Amino acid sequence: MPEQEGRFAYEGLDRLIHERARLSVLTSLLTHPKGLTFVELKAMCSLTDGNLSRHLSILEQDGMVLIEKGHEKNRPQTLCRITAYGKKRYLEYLETLEQVVRDAAKIAEGSKANSRGRMRPAEA
Amino acid sequence: MTDLRRALGDIHAIRKQVADRTEFRGYGPVAMACTALFAVISATVQPYVVSDPAHTPVRYLAIWFAAATLSLLLSSVTMYTRSRRMHSGLSDEMIRMAAQQFVPSVGAGLLMTVVLVFAIPHVVWMLPGFWQVIFSLGVFASCRSLPKTMFAPACLYLGTGVAAMAIGDTRALSPWVMGVPFALGQMMIAAVLRFDGAAEEDVDA
Repeated sequence: MPEQEGRFAYEGLDRLIHERARLSVLTSLLTHPKGLTFVELKAMCSLTDGNLSRHLSILEQDGMVLIEKGHEKNRPQTLCRITAYGKKRYLEYLETLEQVVRDAAKIAEGSKANSRGRMRPAEA
Repeated sequence: MTDLRRALGDIHAIRKQVADRTEFRGYGPVAMACTALFAVISATVQPYVVSDPAHTPVRYLAIWFAAATLSLLLSSVTMYTRSRRMHSGLSDEMIRMAAQQFVPSVGAGLLMTVVLVFAIPHVVWMLPGFWQVIFSLGVFASCRSLPKTMFAPACLYLGTGVAAMAIGDTRALSPWVMGVPFALGQMMIAAVLRFDGAAEEDVDA
């Protein structure tokens, strides 16, 4: 039976999210719905100031994160939060990613079973 | 292979973590208001069907079991459809979480009902109060993923349940001992969901 057309297209693998640093940023923000300060986010994602700023501005332009500049104890503070739209897109991405891993696991299981099958006659 | 399994585990953990911090929007205010109506109908019908509930507990049970089953069915269907619409990617996780919070109290209520009716029938008058207390525990458990004001209906059920038990005899089987608390409580839950729940556009997915 031919494979379903576009079965492995994985169109949900959003290019914007599918980048290691942005994936870390979004995952951190998603698991902290009240938001994270720039400093906290930088530490969690092991990014430099410049790198984090660049990725945050890309995500902000796309409406996936909200950046609020304010003051905490008279010191400037930048608070980053994921938006409802960002959360929706991240979850869609996660669903596709899960499908990719499931497919890969299925293939790995299949090839393992095949190699075991090939081994048997030789063992005998 | 182990890496792939671990990756799947990580994805599942992320989804679970997000679900834990997301307000559940599966319970619909209209469905909750309908369950309040079922309570009123059952209380109205009870005197015509069961004249002496203390001596015919199974008939009394049948009326309220029918109301509970209808309510559960309606709530489940609404929960499934609303959850699919409002939580899409998180839907299954959110439903699983809601069930984990509420189902234990339903199970405990069912088991205790069987024990009271068939093993110690002389205390069957405790059922209405007992059901309300058990229901309040289910609502309290669900409060974690619902608006904070959901504590109010939970407290109402606990209070009415304890009061019903305090009646201390078969007068507790009067139809409105069940009808009034469940009608009020369910309407209160509907109001909380309608006016205090997260706005639809704020919901994750």
